[in-house]
Amino acid sequence: MRNGKSLKALALSLALAVSFGVSLTPVHAASTEILVWADESRGPNLTKVMAAKSDWVAGYKVVIRTFSSFDALKAAVDAATDLTGPDIIVGANDWVPTGAKSGKLAPITLTAAVKAQFNSSQFFDLSYKGKLYGIPLDINNVAMIYNTKLVTTKPASFGDMVTYYKTNKVAKGLKAGLCVAGGGMSWGAHQVFSALGADAYMMKKDGTVNYGQSFNPSLFGNNVKAYLLDGKKSNGFFPASDTGCKDNFLAGTVPFAVIGNWEWQSYVDAGFTMNLMPVPGVTAGTYGKMFGSVSGALLTSYAAKHGTEAAAKSLLVNFFASTAGQVAYQALEKRPPAEKGAQTSAGVTSGQKGFGSAASLAGIPQIGAFLNNNKGGASYWDSAPAYWTAVLVDGKDPIKEARKLAAIWKTNVISGQADL
Amino acid sequence: MVAFFRGKLAFAFKVLFLAGISALLVLLLISALGQKQYAIGIFLILVVIGLNFTYLTKVSIPLKFFYPGLIFLLGFVVAPIVFTLTMSTYNYKTGNYIGKTEAITQIQKLAIEPDASGSTFDIIVGKYNGTESAILASDTVKKQYFISTYDKRIDLNVTDIKVNEYQVAREAYNFKALADAELAGADKLLSKSRFFYTSEFFIALEGFDVGALYRQKLNFLAIQDAFQNIATGAIYKDNGKGNYANVDAPGEILEPGWRAPVWFENYSKLFLDPKVREPLIRVFIWTVVFAVSSVLTSFAFGLLLALALNKPIRGRRIYRSILILPYAMPSVMSILIWGGMFNTEFGAINQLLGTDIAWFQSVTFARVAVIVVNLWLGFPYFYLVTSGALQAIPSELNEAAAIDGASPRQIFSKITLPLLLRILSPLLIASFAFNFNNFNLIYLLTGGGPKSTLDGDIAGATDILISYTYQIAFGSFTQDLGLASAISVVIFLLVASISLYGIRKSKVLESFV
Repeated sequence: MRNGKSLKALALSLALAVSFGVSLTPVHAASTEILVWADESRGPNLTKVMAAKSDWVAGYKVVIRTFSSFDALKAAVDAATDLTGPDIIVGANDWVPTGAKSGKLAPITLTAAVKAQFNSSQFFDLSYKGKLYGIPLDINNVAMIYNTKLVTTKPASFGDMVTYYKTNKVAKGLKAGLCVAGGGMSWGAHQVFSALGADAYMMKKDGTVNYGQSFNPSLFGNNVKAYLLDGKKSNGFFPASDTGCKDNFLAGTVPFAVIGNWEWQSYVDAGFTMNLMPVPGVTAGTYGKMFGSVSGALLTSYAAKHGTEAAAKSLLVNFFASTAGQVAYQALEKRPPAEKGAQTSAGVTSGQKGFGSAASLAGIPQIGAFLNNNKGGASYWDSAPAYWTAVLVDGKDPIKEARKLAAIWKTNVISGQADL
Repeated sequence: MVAFFRGKLAFAFKVLFLAGISALLVLLLISALGQKQYAIGIFLILVVIGLNFTYLTKVSIPLKFFYPGLIFLLGFVVAPIVFTLTMSTYNYKTGNYIGKTEAITQIQKLAIEPDASGSTFDIIVGKYNGTESAILASDTVKKQYFISTYDKRIDLNVTDIKVNEYQVAREAYNFKALADAELAGADKLLSKSRFFYTSEFFIALEGFDVGALYRQKLNFLAIQDAFQNIATGAIYKDNGKGNYANVDAPGEILEPGWRAPVWFENYSKLFLDPKVREPLIRVFIWTVVFAVSSVLTSFAFGLLLALALNKPIRGRRIYRSILILPYAMPSVMSILIWGGMFNTEFGAINQLLGTDIAWFQSVTFARVAVIVVNLWLGFPYFYLVTSGALQAIPSELNEAAAIDGASPRQIFSKITLPLLLRILSPLLIASFAFNFNNFNLIYLLTGGGPKSTLDGDIAGATDILISYTYQIAFGSFTQDLGLASAISVVIFLLVASISLYGIRKSKVLESFV
């Protein structure tokens, strides 16, 4: 009798559990929803844009999922599965090689008319082995600002800045001359490397990569000696770390700083008076090259599994690649838009335009296939800050270290060709 | 009251409660099955059945007490170990994340190439003759219009169609466009569809309004389990390492690859590949030094303070409260604050000492900084446990020794310390195991650095095994989860062996037997 009661209870409990469980199971996103993942900055702005106008793809609703940070978004992308993954990711261009290699991203082909609305180097950033994986959305670059209350004359050369620093160091209580506030000691500091003669890769005038040439370590090392060192020690002009740069610049104790275009508004909001330009080279009239990368709206392979691939491609073209879409989005996001029509729109701020013109003076494409590659022993991202530490902190010979750096970068570029 | 706990009502509540918990597990089960995690699904089914069977029958009363713990042990301890162990035998890394079937599908999908001029068409998706899926395509430059189904192309004259202001065909005889709702329903099918253009080329959708011209580059030969390049005839076969590789040029592989078992290759890399082995040995030595130093310094400092405050002195309660503060503060905050204090240019420590030491750029100083910060984080714990242990040592022992003429130093070294060590040995071993894997401290304070990257260093000077493993698994653009799993297994074995040895030597388990 008791066994019978237990068995009935067992059956009842299991039946209830199954029925509760099934009824509680969230229905997977309807196939008329296009799921877009974005970070904490882009996500809310995309949500606002989609709320204001929702018919970018007829019959579909665009759902934006915002992550707490860029790193959180990257972690989510790494952990995404067929069921949980998005249809489109708004992410970094250097996610393309690994995403494509791992089958997480899917290629898209654009019409000639859509292609014409972008700079071809921007497609370069979002391509892997000849296939395009997304739409260029916003341009990310750095430029140098200088405090116009301290520096009244625009520096014509790198030497001008160093001279200013040495002359005014004590009188104005300067903690450094030029520091990197945005983009870190690798991405942000490339302008400084380049201004002193070390480019991560050399570009030809026609915009293609010059595989036959890499930077001259002796020339670069001698420039480092001349401009950044006093004997074996740093002369204090250029710190090896980006820590405290922004605070010191805003406090008026650093006259020149490299900042990212996404930070411009925060400097404006701080009520600061400054001018914007690329880092000048050692010869007057030349400039250090900056990486002009693009963030992309990337198509995922999950879209095909969700049954929304064609719709996701339509959203990429109708919204992300359109002037109307980029103007609406960048009016909130405040980054320089990638699309040509949006770049000339009246809604683009002076800061966005200023970074755009700096990029046109000294921009080079950010080629993940070279920069992420570590066949030379380390990637650009790891080796670049290591050089500053070795020379400016550890007091190692700038020419010897430059030779190691040149060897690493050269190997990475040559072996990275296969991934283009 | 008793009736409430034992009556029919109580039984009904029990059934409902179990059904509620089981429902949550069924929810997880459905999610797991949806993600094709069948092992997790089977585990959850067994847990649900076991749960109800245990609490609704009287098969085993002790099991009613053990069941939750047993399930958590299996789910959160045993399963991750088994998973890590399994993954350590796979080539689970960037480029080899997915299963083989999925990889074949993706290779086939990627193995198409556009025509030389990258032709695209404006299209409308619909039905031809009322039944056949078709597209009405327009090349507005060449003024070319046609309907394309899966197997034929019907060229159209301009007179056969109605165009819009951009000269894109909107209507054609025998062609009916799909409504928006129909398009949405057909997306999955349409995305896979190939509309006929010529015997060589086909049109695939690039959105609902655009089609692009492609041709197939590779054919999958299912029987041979190989791909063949249609133009060159090159054969790509499963290389046993998760990729289809060109038979004549094994370095040339098709992407993406898949997770394939490589058995002990990841383990053999640890010992045979100098790029992995050499940094691993250095990191292992530093990990042991770091863990031992951390335990010794924290224990010694905690003991010192406990001894000092074991005697009645004025303001003892205030001192005790202050000493517990570092322990009460979240360690993440403490580590970040210490990181700022060690900053070369602006940090409080250099300003206080009047130095310009680059703490995190110098190998020696970075290691000192790591141990100092860990001392700050760890001593309050040892102060607390040592204080408690000191109270537990009978005062008669010390008094007897004093009467026998022992000096305070002798009393401490011959009586107090041995007794303390006997009591605290399990805690010291646990602390060693914790510090052996103290990821937070290293990751947040130094990031494993400094590292002579230009000289080819892969591991940083303060990297411990777990942070080095993290770096291999997630720290760069090329992730190697299989190798990281192999290192994790080795760490597990090391910590388990050292702990077991320590426990045996200290004989602490004897009191439990």
